[in-house]
Parts: sequence; C-alpha cells; structure tokens
Amino acid sequence: MGEPSRQQASGLLDRYRPGTAFDEAFDADGAVRGPYLRIVERFRELDIDEVKRLENLVADEFRRQGITFTVYSEEEGTERIWPMDLFPRIIAAAEWDELSRGLSQRVAALNCFLADLYNGGGQAIEDGVVPRWLVVSSQGFERNAMGIRVPHSAHCNIAGIDVVRAADGRYRVLEDNLRSPSGISYVIENRAAMAKACSWLFYDHPVEPTEQYGRMLRSTLESMAPDGRDSPHIVVLTPGIFNSAYFEHAFLARSMGVELVEGRDLVVDDHTVYSRTIEGLVKVDVIYRRIDDNFLDPVAFRPDSTLGVPGLLSALRAGTVTVCNALGNGVVDDKGVYPYVPELIRYYLDEEPIIDNVPTYMMWDPDQRADALARLGELVAKPVGESGGYGVLIGPHATGQELDEARATIEADPRNWIVQELVQLSTVPSLAGDRLEPRHLDLRPFVLTGERTQVFPGGLTRVAMRRGSLIVNSSQGGGSKDTWILAPETS
Amino acid sequence: MILARHAESLLWAGRYLERAENTSRCLNYAANSITHLRTGEATAEGEMLVRTLGLQEELEAVGPLESQPQLIAFLLSDTDNPGSVVSAVVAVRENLRTVRDRIPIELWEEANGLFLRFPFLGHANAAAGGLHEVLLMVRRACLAISGILNEGMRRDEGHAFAVLGRMLERSIFTVGLLEASHAGSRGVMDATRMLRLTSSLQAYHRQHGNAPDFDSVVRYLLHAADLPRSVLSCLDRAEDCLTGLASTAAALDRPRRKAALLRARLELGEIEEAIAAAPVPTLQDFLAQFLELASDVHTGIVPPLAMATVRSQYIRPGAAPEGAER
Repeated sequence: MGEPSRQQASGLLDRYRPGTAFDEAFDADGAVRGPYLRIVERFRELDIDEVKRLENLVADEFRRQGITFTVYSEEEGTERIWPMDLFPRIIAAAEWDELSRGLSQRVAALNCFLADLYNGGGQAIEDGVVPRWLVVSSQGFERNAMGIRVPHSAHCNIAGIDVVRAADGRYRVLEDNLRSPSGISYVIENRAAMAKACSWLFYDHPVEPTEQYGRMLRSTLESMAPDGRDSPHIVVLTPGIFNSAYFEHAFLARSMGVELVEGRDLVVDDHTVYSRTIEGLVKVDVIYRRIDDNFLDPVAFRPDSTLGVPGLLSALRAGTVTVCNALGNGVVDDKGVYPYVPELIRYYLDEEPIIDNVPTYMMWDPDQRADALARLGELVAKPVGESGGYGVLIGPHATGQELDEARATIEADPRNWIVQELVQLSTVPSLAGDRLEPRHLDLRPFVLTGERTQVFPGGLTRVAMRRGSLIVNSSQGGGSKDTWILAPETS
Repeated sequence: MILARHAESLLWAGRYLERAENTSRCLNYAANSITHLRTGEATAEGEMLVRTLGLQEELEAVGPLESQPQLIAFLLSDTDNPGSVVSAVVAVRENLRTVRDRIPIELWEEANGLFLRFPFLGHANAAAGGLHEVLLMVRRACLAISGILNEGMRRDEGHAFAVLGRMLERSIFTVGLLEASHAGSRGVMDATRMLRLTSSLQAYHRQHGNAPDFDSVVRYLLHAADLPRSVLSCLDRAEDCLTGLASTAAALDRPRRKAALLRARLELGEIEEAIAAAPVPTLQDFLAQFLELASDVHTGIVPPLAMATVRSQYIRPGAAPEGAER
C-alpha cells in the first residue's frame, strides 16, 4: 500500500474524520494512504461549486444516455438516474492481485461443486462436506439441471462476488452471485462518465482500462459453444424493456456485437433453438440469459411465464445449445450454502481460501442458533433466499421489538436464515452536502469462466449515501463509484 | 440478418419519426396561418389538417373542433391521440429503446434527449411555453436523428427498415394531403398550403415561379424526382430498400412488387389521368394502396411459414392455438 503521507488534506476534506471502520483513503491518524495521495491532492484543489458542476455533468450524461435503474418498491416502479459519486475508489496493484487470485479460487471451487452436484454424482455430499438435505431443500437447487452437459464443466460463466473490507483491513466475501449478477455496465459507464467529466483526474494515475469487457465476455461465451464449434451464434436473452436491468442487457449485446433477444424471438424446433429473423429461423448456439431459471421455459418451469422459450430445456438436454449461466446455479447463491464454501475450496482444490468468509452462524444448528439469537442485537440476520439487501436485519440498528420478531421468525424457520458478525464495511470519502465524509462501501468484482478464468480488473463499488448506513444497494438509496485498479509498474 | 422484432421496431421508429416531423409541420402551419377558429373557414382549415393526418376518428373521440388551442393540444400533447407529436416522440424512443444494441449510441441519445425535453409526464401543454420554440426543437431533433440515421448507421437491414418506414409514412402523408386538399376550392391558398406542409414552397418557386397553380402543385408533389418529399421519390427509395431486403427475406418480395407497380403507375401517368377524371376517389384509392403496402411489409417481416412450424411444435395442454396441428 506504500508509505502513508503525513500531508493533511484541506478544503472539501478539511473536516474529514474516519470513524472506527477501515478507511480506504486515510489511516487512523488521518494520514493519506499511498494509492490515494494524488487523488486527495486533486480534490483539495476543488471547491464545492466545481464538484457540483462536475456532478451535474455526469448526471446529464447518464440522463441523456438513459442510464437508469428501476426501484420496484415504489409505486409502479420508478426509473432513476444512476447515482455516482465523483471521488473514486482506488485499489493498488498488489492488493488487487491477491484479491483476484482469491476470487478465481472461489469461483473455481464453486464451479467444481456445481459440476459435481449436477453431473458428477455429488461426491462432496457423499463425503459429508455439505449436507444433502441442505442442498436439495435449496430453492436454487434445480432437478432439471441433473445430467445436462456443460462445456468445460463451467457452470458459472459470469460470477459477481460481493466483497467487503473489514475493520482489520482484510477483504472478506459477503455474498456469491452465480445466477445473473448485474452491474458490469454501470462499472463501464461510470468510467466513461468520469473520463468525460474529469479526465484530468486520471493524468497521474495508471488506471487499468475497463472497455475490454465486451471482448472478454464474448470470448468466454464463444468458448461455451456446444461441441466447440467455431463462430457460434450468440444471443443475450432479456426479459424486455421493463426489466430494471434492461439498460445493461442492451449494453452487453452492443459491446459484444450480438443480438439482444426476448423469449418471443426464439423458438425450439426438433430440440434446437432458433431465432426468428426476417430470413426465417436461424440456429442459436449460446444464450447468455438474464432471466431466472423459473422463467426460462414455460413447458418445464412456470407455465404462466411469457418471458422464456417453450422447449428450451429439451434443447439443453439434447446438447444443441448452451445457456450461460447454467441452470441450477442458484443453489450456491443460497446463503445457507455460503458457510460451506471455504471447506469446498479445501475439498476440491486442496488449497486454503485466499479470501475468508464473514464469520457466519448456521441457524439450523441448535447450538449456533442459541448463541447467535442471544446476542442478535450485535449481529446481522439474513434470509438465505433474498438478495439486494431485502429482509436483512442489522442488529445494532434494530429496535427491541424488531429483534424479538426476528428471533421468533428464525426459530420458526431456521433453515432459511443465517446470522453473521457485523462487518463494519470500510469507508471512503464521498460527497455529503458541501464536503466529503466517510461512507461505507462494498465491491462486486466480476469473474468470467469458460475455457479459462479471467477476473475483470475492477468491479462495481457501491456506497451507502447516508451517514453510518451499511446498506449500499442502489434499490435502497445507495450510490456508486468508479473503481480504479492501478497498474502494477507504478503503484 | 436481423430479428423480425427488431426489423419491426426500426420500421415503426422510422414511421413515427416521420410522423413527429409531419405533425410538427402541420402544427406550425396551424399556429402561424390559422389565427382563430371562430369562422367557418378557419374551422375547415383545422379539419383539413386532421384529415391530412388521417386522425378523423381520434378527433371524434375528443369532440368537435371549436378552438385553435384545442386543435393545438390535440396535435401536440394529447397522449390518447397516436398521431400527436408527443405520442410520436414517445413511440420513436420506445421503438429505438428495443433496438438499442444495434443502433448508433448517438441515435439513441438524440431520441432520448428529445423525449426528455418534453414535459410528458405532467401533461403540460407546451403551447404555454412557446409553441414555436417547441416545434422548432422537435423538427431540429428529427433532422438530427435523420442525419445520424443516414450518416452514422451502417447500411444494413436495420437501416433499410428505418428508411423504409420513413418513406412509407411520408408517402401516406403526402397522398393524404393531396386528397384532403381536393376537398377545398383548389385555389392558390390550397396550393400554397400543400407546398408549405411538405416544405416544398421554396423549391417549387425556384422551378415554377411564385404563383402556384393547384394542378401544377399536385403534379409536382406526385412526380418531382428531385424533391425528397414527392411520392415518386419516396416510392423509389422504398423500392430500393425492399429490393435489398427481399434478396434475403423472400416474404418481402410481395411488397417489393407492389411498390414497383405503384411506381410504374405513377411514372406512366396513369394516376394523374385518373385524378383528372375523379380526383378524390382516385386519391382515396391511391392512399388505400399505400396503407396496404405498409401492411404487406409488416406481414412480410415475420415469415408465416416459420410461425406455423413453431406453433405445431409446442402446444400447452388446454391452450392449443387456433389452427395448430393436433
């Protein structure tokens, strides 16, 4: 991380006081950490009016391009401009190198587990690494996926692993997203907006570029073609323009140079998937789907779904098409399986995990449950099947009544809850009113796996915009930051 | 190769883009030339515009035309009227949104920017903020979108469908204008209005003098090969698009042949002769043929045989589609 500077910031950062959490930019004595030296200098040269002007430039850019997200909890769903804070999150090369090795390791082990579960006879279950009852009772476990061949045994081609930095300065995995992790388009658009509005900020920082994602994703998907065929016909399958991530789906199709299709654009004939074109039916080889398992095929799953393709499962079974990510990955997104991941890494790879989990208590274990519920007021309770921060109870922020209700809910249905130690997510300077203040943040890096594994340099940094809040999800008022990975030679 | 749905979206985007521009031009004319709608003559002018735009049924749903502000609101911001400027701009944006991945980013940004400049959601009447400025903004944005479409987009099938949509809509507008204009006195005022509503006044003056004769203007708007808004020019471009598309999409050969036939009838003077004998029925029939051509294009986008194959494959229990094989 380099020798910290004793130089004090001023202006926007004059009254900046890191709290008890690890601060990414300043150490406990208030000195600037190495990777942030120059960016802090640059922000010292700015006044609030200039920062507001730049913020408006970025917001205008997002508005013009229609870079939005939808908040479903509000009436009829509201389209909002994507929020981005101008002060970047910076990660030094050596730190990123270790983090990316840890991410590759974790995804490799999870892919081994999925291949073992759906195509390998479930050796890890047989050997007692993960309980059978837990796996088969998971909402994400998909019996229809049993026996479907997956090229290179790469069940998870696009993974988004949520990591946080705890008070001790170490990264930990908070959550695995192996179904349809979203956010990569915002990573790239954040960079594009920063480069337009504040190009001078990059001058003395060797920042890894982000625009190669489309190429990385396309090569990954190409390697997933059935029977290794050359120049496969790839499509991105979206639920349509009313989906909250539609912007991202269009972005991905455009950046790969492939078609963005809806379920109604595809048909299955004789166990083969075709797209409906003006020339007639054209065979499809690889589908990057952004639709959940349940909606993929109304013949096999939800019959009321109009989003999917009737007969798709039959084509998958016939091996004429590959669906990425594979069917049934939801079993490892189940937070009930999360506590077993370190052991899965040891089991499949014979390695120690490079990135630890957050200490987690399994509520189906009576002893762990009793201990955790006794001190629930200092812990975090999470339902195993939710994402996006929904249903999470943060003990220190909950009332006595909320804690009592949570205890009763967990006692009634322990399989569907985990309880974790509260991690004081690290902080970074973020604009709050007329100055920069510490705000908590996390990071979602993306790992691509096909014939080989690649970690995209960077990730989606989400930041809580309210003081002290640990909720970083954009759907619940969180914002984002451009994530800078510094190149090795000069960092 | 283009998805049938994308082809349809681009076709509609082209049609609505043209519609937004045409309706804006009509509104501009209404605002500048119809100073009030209290007299029978002015009311007739308003009704003529509505007839030109083929919006008689939509107007009936609103009620009789009684004032200029009512006409302006109907054509500008009435979201229940699919021919209003607001509806057309929304439709351009929504159609381009579904093909965001295959059009130039600038094209989407311009269409989205136009959408964002309208106070749509509050249903505010832009007339209060200065109708002229609003219409100027719409027409400039339409021109910018056209410019990007023509200069920034690859000449692929998507481009051909967008241009085809524009040409079909433009032909329908021009023929509709000729038909509605024949209901009037066919004097200099009618002739001038036709030229203004097609942005052809200056071009006509340079070629034929500044005292427009009604029949001469009708011939000009039908035949002028160098006028982008003449029916012949539109048919030429539409036929070019269809010829390219039909080389790979066989179902589009039928509308290609129909466009060629319409062009031949126009070039050989058959239409003009029929107009001289019975102008309104001839132009109504001509308009109907353009509407049929547009319908054939839409049908040709999704090859019916492909759909039939699919329907026979997967039939949900109790929900067999009509005509499906059992």
